[in-house]
Amino acid sequence: MAELTGKSSQEQASDSGINIETIGLMAGRALLGVALVMMVFYLVVYVAFAANLIQFPYDYDQGEGFELVDVMMFSEGEFPYADIETYPFYGSIYPPLYHVLLVPFAWAFGPEYWYGRLFSFVSTLVTAGAIAYVVHREGRRYATGNATRWTTRLIAGVAGLAWLASPIVYHIGPLFRQHISMVMFEILALVVLVRALEIDDTGKRRRWLLLGFALLIAAGYTKQLAAFTAITALIYLFIRNPRRAVVWGTGFALVGGAIFLGLTIGTDGHWWTQTITANVKDFSLDQARGLFDVFIDLHFWLLIPAGVFILYEVYFDRISVYSIWFVAVTGLNAYAAGTWGAGDSYYATPIAATCVLAGIVTVRTFNGGWRFNQNVYSRALVDPLRRVAPLVRAAAMIALPVLFILYGRAIVHMPTNVAPFDTVADVFGIEDNTGYNFHDPNGYVTYAYAQIGHFLTDADRAAGDEIVALMNDIPADVPVLSEEAGFSFAAGREVITNPVVLMILWEAGAFDSTELVNMLNAQEFGMVVLRAQFYPQDVNRAITVNYEETQRIRMNGFDYIIKYPRAEPLE
Amino acid sequence: MNLFKDDFQFTKRQLGLLCVGLGMLAFVGLLGLDLVTGGDGGIGPAQRIGLGLTVALVVLGLSLIPLGDDKA
Repeated sequence: MAELTGKSSQEQASDSGINIETIGLMAGRALLGVALVMMVFYLVVYVAFAANLIQFPYDYDQGEGFELVDVMMFSEGEFPYADIETYPFYGSIYPPLYHVLLVPFAWAFGPEYWYGRLFSFVSTLVTAGAIAYVVHREGRRYATGNATRWTTRLIAGVAGLAWLASPIVYHIGPLFRQHISMVMFEILALVVLVRALEIDDTGKRRRWLLLGFALLIAAGYTKQLAAFTAITALIYLFIRNPRRAVVWGTGFALVGGAIFLGLTIGTDGHWWTQTITANVKDFSLDQARGLFDVFIDLHFWLLIPAGVFILYEVYFDRISVYSIWFVAVTGLNAYAAGTWGAGDSYYATPIAATCVLAGIVTVRTFNGGWRFNQNVYSRALVDPLRRVAPLVRAAAMIALPVLFILYGRAIVHMPTNVAPFDTVADVFGIEDNTGYNFHDPNGYVTYAYAQIGHFLTDADRAAGDEIVALMNDIPADVPVLSEEAGFSFAAGREVITNPVVLMILWEAGAFDSTELVNMLNAQEFGMVVLRAQFYPQDVNRAITVNYEETQRIRMNGFDYIIKYPRAEPLE
Repeated sequence: MNLFKDDFQFTKRQLGLLCVGLGMLAFVGLLGLDLVTGGDGGIGPAQRIGLGLTVALVVLGLSLIPLGDDKA
């Protein structure tokens, strides 16, 4: 290995007079300060959004309420993977860990949205902390004489905050959904596995490996998408030591498989149907492409250093788990994002990998931590540059913070009518481009890009209360069919159906809707509340035939359709 | 080369050869998939992306081979 210059930074400095590197360092630090201010601003927006959302007692993102149903079922010792063809027609397509972790909250507070959202929000902070930890660790590891602790910390902080600043992370960070805690387990698993391979003591190394694989299993049993990070970990271990990868990979597969088998047996096969069959969904290349374009547009400036770092590791250094992670999850998650029901949230993991790599590039540049293997490529491409290394480094110390600043410019998102953000919006000429007093860099345009992020208002809460009041007018012994579970919880009613699960399984030929359709035909439900009408076609048809719309109530920007039994069903 | 020795680690050359082999295998597999499934519609867009990736993997592998015994 050789440093880029082959000399210490001090020697380079004296060679080039006073001193191009010092100028680059000073300017770079100042620019990093600007980037930090931008990222802190987005953190403030994020915290304000989370605080606003955590207090809201109904669904914000469709499906949150069903996550709460899962939590409540686990808290009562029941599996949510139940027979969906019989009343109350409820099933769940997600693994259990997120819900199980929330069970103590359910015991203490009952069915509430706030603790699931708070848990997700805290998960995002842990993830950002893990990104900062990785960058900081890499910075210290490769630090040379002129590295300073606070510059390393500054860069680590900016990298972690850059993840929180992504509009995609912002959208889903504080939701009562399991996706973001999966990302937390994914990065924690990789951090632990990397640490494990650095340990010489066999016993201690094994304990760390065990912890790393336990975190991988935790990620997978939070959401299936973590399989791609598991692939990353196994590839990394295989490259570093195939024997260890095979042994630990086999153990990992056996434990994961045993849990899977136990759940399949314990739920009479419904776990298999709902988490496997229901997740084999239609693929849309247009959807995948649209979301990929959004990912590139929003994160382009950070993808540049990430890409450069991967090339560097492949040709001039050892390949780190984070480079493999970036390639694997960007490719595979981009593909998975094209499946029905997927969205921009599938990029939360690739964005984490991007921030890690961009942070490492920056911290290595500032700390003088670049090393190049002597090989055919370094002789052709790097050696000729050694004479101008101080200039290259100085330029990079200015350019890299600028990339973070440009990233901050590309991802502008904030409410435009909530103080103090309204003042900031006025000063910078940022306007509502979503119709919800909110500026989003995508403007809610791309298909499957989450149309959320805007703040909730008193009117939204009042609208939810109005729907609950209508439910309360229905006699307690008459069931109400609601497409969202939150209203049913607030009205103290049984949650009936998980529409999306029914629809997916119906399309897969794995749901017989006869009993539900018969109940609708017999007008057994006193009221129906619809939003997106994500029911199987024949269920939607039975609702239309037997129930008539009386009003629409607007909440969170969506129209909730209120229906009552028709005096005369349609022919 | 004993893949399962305690201290075995891939070199860049070995990793390159592995990438070339896997890439070629995947390329043939993707084309073969078309034959097995009938392939009436020709090579679809997703399949084209897959084939492109396999070619990229082969190119990457070839470019790693000159790196010799550098640790991967």
